[in-house]
Amino acid sequence: MSDEIKITPVNRGKRPAFFDDPAIDQLMAIVMAMSAEMSVLYDRVDTIERLLDKKGTLSRDDIEAFRPDQGVEDERNGRRNDYISRLFRIIREERETLVAHDKMDEYNALMDELAKS
Amino acid sequence: MTMQTEHDFLITGSHDEANRQAYAATLRMHVLTDIGNGLKDVYDQRVAPAFEKSNGRAPKDGREAMKAMLDDTYGKTWSSMIHTCQEMLWDSVRPAVERAQPDFNEKVRGLNSKVGSVSLDPSVEVPRYVSASDIHLMPGNYHTERAEDDTSQGALFDRGLYLYQGGFAGPLCDNNGRSQAEVIKRRWPEFKPKKILDLGCTVGNNTLPYADVFPDAELHAIDVAAPCVRYGHARAEALGVPCHFHQMNAEATSFEDESFDLIVSCILFHETSRTGLEKILAESHRLLKPGGMMLHMEVPRTEGMDPYSAFRLDWDTYYNNEPFLSTWMRTDVGESCVKAGFDADNYIHIAAPDLGSVSDEEFTRYAKAEDSATGTHGHWGELVMWNMYGAWK
Repeated sequence: MSDEIKITPVNRGKRPAFFDDPAIDQLMAIVMAMSAEMSVLYDRVDTIERLLDKKGTLSRDDIEAFRPDQGVEDERNGRRNDYISRLFRIIREERETLVAHDKMDEYNALMDELAKS
Repeated sequence: MTMQTEHDFLITGSHDEANRQAYAATLRMHVLTDIGNGLKDVYDQRVAPAFEKSNGRAPKDGREAMKAMLDDTYGKTWSSMIHTCQEMLWDSVRPAVERAQPDFNEKVRGLNSKVGSVSLDPSVEVPRYVSASDIHLMPGNYHTERAEDDTSQGALFDRGLYLYQGGFAGPLCDNNGRSQAEVIKRRWPEFKPKKILDLGCTVGNNTLPYADVFPDAELHAIDVAAPCVRYGHARAEALGVPCHFHQMNAEATSFEDESFDLIVSCILFHETSRTGLEKILAESHRLLKPGGMMLHMEVPRTEGMDPYSAFRLDWDTYYNNEPFLSTWMRTDVGESCVKAGFDADNYIHIAAPDLGSVSDEEFTRYAKAEDSATGTHGHWGELVMWNMYGAWK
């Protein structure tokens, strides 16, 4: 057996498409992967800033060796969550629209009521 | 996110890889809860009314609810996103595990057991319910070996599981096992098992807490997947927890009759099959000493569940490669226990949340409750109730 190991699916099956056009599912996967890379980049900048704050200088090895403690990780996670909320705002808004729609019915009813009174 | 406990065999990867993993876990939790909980509003306000309008009645079960939800834009978007998250999660761990080899396998092979042991049996056949699908979309599943004495899948699972749970199962990913062990101890304080067996242990994360809760017991753990057994042993040694790992099939082990006082499993049954489940129960009966007990922790069941909640659980059956999950949820466990040789009067069904998700006093109340198998469901974002099924011999 070779020393090289490639971890590949053995029985994953066909990738499901949830949209009528599977290209949309692929696009979704690309957007989400891109969102991850942006977050990774932000974390790298964060590492650089922290190292510079502390030492005023840095090396590539310093960056690679940096590991967050729980406090730094919590801070980063808060930022990641905010970032995700902004990124996927459009989906959250669809949910909010449902509630807004209810309010709209109430408002229309109020208009009718006021027109008659 | 609670950080995972580092040990000699945990592979986390480079600076960027570790951050990519953290992001994948956070993103998945966001999609699962923040966006996922919007599914209920969409179902109540848009999907169910539309279904009623065209069918003259409400959706009757999870399958109908799922079909209607997957026709809705929000349902499609959420499904596409959560499926992608699952793929991203494994992808974020994979390169680090690949790169660590072959040195990593060498390091595990060279390990000197100090507190526990490991025994492999290449004649153990991986049952079809494990080999036929990559459960949870984990590439290669629990069992695939790509080199001699390969441990890659164990390392992949240890890190991937932590990310999958988003840290909610604790830094050692052991909250389920710890919760069940504590339920047993608090409900039956006079029960002092001397020998404990955990079935389908994977990397032993939910096995090891039994050593904390029952420190005088001898702990054994079995799994069909050699990479997990090898890795689980290395992990236990690194953490200094005495446990004996064996590559065995829970349907037919090579232990002698009446070897154990307590037999447990943790979220194993829904990854087996109907006949697999029945054989495991019968084998548990054979292995238990008279007066011993088996208790198996499982995910909430859809029986008696509203169509929306059933849809959320059924989704995983279809799209997260959990082929038996849906059938498991409709299985009468009490009946299966009787068929396996247990007395119907000795049947146990307890529902309790994770230790730490409620106050300690409340947890004890759930553990001790006479009629505690109520409020048996819940999904992420709510209080998850784990069901424990078993029997005294």
